[in-house]
Amino acid sequence: MRKLVSVSMVLVVALTLVLAGCSSKPSSPAASSSSTDTKGTAQSSANAGGSKHLTIAIPYDVQGFDIHNHNNTPTEAVHVNLFSYLVKKNEKQVIEPDLAVSWESIDDTTWRFVLRQGVKFHNGDPFTSADVKYTLERVSKDDKLLEYGNYKQIKEVKIVDEYTVDIITDGPQPALLNRLSRLGSGMLPSKYLEEQGWEKFQSNPIGTGPYKFKQWIRDDRLELVRNPDYVGDAPNWDEVTFRVIPEDATRVAELLTGGVDIAVNVPAIDMDRIESNEGTHAAATPTQRVIQLNVRTKEGTVTADPRVREAIDLAIDKQAIVDSIYMGAATPTRTRVTPGNFGAKADLFGTSLYDPERAKQLLKEAGYEKGLKLTFNASGDSSKDKETAELITAMLAEVGIEAKLELLENSAYQEKFRGRTFDELVLIPFGNSMFDAALAFSRISTQGAKGETDYSNAEVDRLLAAAETNMNAKEREQQYFKVQDIIAQERPFIYLFQENANFGISDRVEFSPRLDEMLYADQVTLK
Amino acid sequence: MKGFLIKAVLQIIPVMFLITLIVFILVHVTGDPVTLMLSETATDEDRRVLTAALGLDQPLFVQYFKYMFNLLQGDFGTSFRYNTAALPIVLERLPATFELAAASMLVATLISIPLGILSATKRNSVLDVFITGFSVLGKAMPSFWLGIMLILFFSVYLGLFPVSGRGTFAQLVLPSITLGAAIAAEMTRLIRSSMLEILSQDYIRTARSKGLWETIVVYKHAFRNSLIPVVTIMALQTSTLIGGTLITEAIFSWPGMGQLVIQAVNARDMAIVQAAVFIIALFVIVSNLLADLVYRLLDPRIKI
Repeated sequence: MRKLVSVSMVLVVALTLVLAGCSSKPSSPAASSSSTDTKGTAQSSANAGGSKHLTIAIPYDVQGFDIHNHNNTPTEAVHVNLFSYLVKKNEKQVIEPDLAVSWESIDDTTWRFVLRQGVKFHNGDPFTSADVKYTLERVSKDDKLLEYGNYKQIKEVKIVDEYTVDIITDGPQPALLNRLSRLGSGMLPSKYLEEQGWEKFQSNPIGTGPYKFKQWIRDDRLELVRNPDYVGDAPNWDEVTFRVIPEDATRVAELLTGGVDIAVNVPAIDMDRIESNEGTHAAATPTQRVIQLNVRTKEGTVTADPRVREAIDLAIDKQAIVDSIYMGAATPTRTRVTPGNFGAKADLFGTSLYDPERAKQLLKEAGYEKGLKLTFNASGDSSKDKETAELITAMLAEVGIEAKLELLENSAYQEKFRGRTFDELVLIPFGNSMFDAALAFSRISTQGAKGETDYSNAEVDRLLAAAETNMNAKEREQQYFKVQDIIAQERPFIYLFQENANFGISDRVEFSPRLDEMLYADQVTLK
Repeated sequence: MKGFLIKAVLQIIPVMFLITLIVFILVHVTGDPVTLMLSETATDEDRRVLTAALGLDQPLFVQYFKYMFNLLQGDFGTSFRYNTAALPIVLERLPATFELAAASMLVATLISIPLGILSATKRNSVLDVFITGFSVLGKAMPSFWLGIMLILFFSVYLGLFPVSGRGTFAQLVLPSITLGAAIAAEMTRLIRSSMLEILSQDYIRTARSKGLWETIVVYKHAFRNSLIPVVTIMALQTSTLIGGTLITEAIFSWPGMGQLVIQAVNARDMAIVQAAVFIIALFVIVSNLLADLVYRLLDPRIKI
């Protein structure tokens, strides 16, 4: 009897060890060599055996490889190395040819694209019109896909010949090129997908990009290798590894010890340390993220009075929040259409209004001499949002507005946001992956604002509807300028500031972060 | 023995059934994955379509029966986040989790057994005070603090170990010390008090009066008998480790169970949460069963 028990115990222990043993992967050069490395000299991920290896530390793992079924910018930031678009944005966010060499607008609803010849998918299949049709029609027809909403404007993709396609839209689509140079537009191999199916594609994704998929260990690493048949300039690296390191302090420590070449999204407080450390430097870039307040304008709420909304704006010292909470890594703004976006109005950016005396005056005029009460929501999960909201609450109290701050756990916050059940004031960060004013104002037309700000302005509605389908870029820009002036004046949104993204970079490589936060490995070069 | 095993295995079935029911209800009433999945520009129509596509518009009991029907055939459902079957995603985390759990238990055992015995045999000496002090400290240190301190000292300052990740032996050292330290602290104290109790028993006095060497008295007679409470704690700690140790895994970016579960909970990825809890529960039950078996091995008086 005791023998039986001993034997079973030994078996369990042995099994555990075997499981643990088989799972040990051969070490990656980045991981193993940092142990022999002294601090600061970021050499370790370099050239093991003469091959060029780039390691980037990211805070979140990619959400798989179904490019149409996620809406996650950090995932796309990695995918751009595997998949190519028809047209892409360069470092200056100007649209350039990629898989399409030229394009023209034939009539209001038809765009013709001429495709590049000789492009091969990673499995050797040639890239042709059929792949464009497959890719874009999948996401524009299947309403279960998460990116459906941003592509449903495409009615049909017509194959003209092997290397020419016509994209037919449901109406004039001035922002079509912006739609086609972002998340969900990576070209997919139609033949491979039809033969092998999505299950197989998820475990072995195939694109036309400069790097090929090697392996993905969830929440650990994604490894890519150079695509020797890449049609553009030869890739810079033999291997590119994206390591998932959720903890900020660990990501910074990996950079300092040379375990990784680039650390994405490092805390502002660590920037000085990275800069002063020998072997690493810090870099920041403005992003598309704007932190703003949504203000309820519904009759019956205290904020229905435009003077109260103006008072709220004037009571908040945006620069003080930027300096104390963001350590300077943000820019005050009075518009969400920030530089780099189509329709950006320069005079509303980099500026803010702050005049607490005038704010008190306005409240007095509005009949709130004795102060007023309102409810203020923010997400409590993000420490920056939380601290910003607390500071705003204190600033509002200075002028006599008693804001009841309710911090919500993120998923509860999201549910309230999407259910449109917030009260007078809510702090909210917004991105804009389309780089077009249209997205920034999708929630301010009478229809789009319902239940949220309840803002309604016939002039704004008219301008937005006209701009949405205006194929004349100059006129369209003027229309968005006018909308921005009206919003800045009437304040259904009170814009606070545009957030920067912070990067830590090894001195071994050269890298300038992009406004759209995409992580093109070929824009990182060895020094 | 055979009877005991059969009974124990049969007991697992109703327990697992209850666990699936409770987890299913908790996961389905606490949040709506659809709101979290849709983009900011989604309309009510988009929302309705997705809810129907995921089968979440049906009554809860219908969803539960469907879930159980599939479960009994080994199908744990599909992860919303990864768009693939949930069970393989959970199972692929097990090696990493086992590896860290085994290493942490090894660290804990190697530290606690000698320290526990020393501190009991040299009771009230300076050494005892030090060991007891250290074990209080070990228990009191939060793991995220210890983990970050170890990284700063051993990786950033000395450059001895890699900061994070999984793959090499060197990468296993810091996380297993972080986890092992707290368990070692608890086990040291337990071994000490358990040893003290045994050392005051009559049969120890008899053994000593027979003129046996002190080493034999301590190791053969006292230590072995003091192990029973220690085994209980080891079993409990092992199942905690299998369940994932969120904070330590996140600090060392260790791709184990804890990280998977917390992200699945945040994203309301129901299938993953359910499959993971199922597997973890199974391990808790099995490790407790093993502890029962070990008792019998240690103390033949416990009858099966």
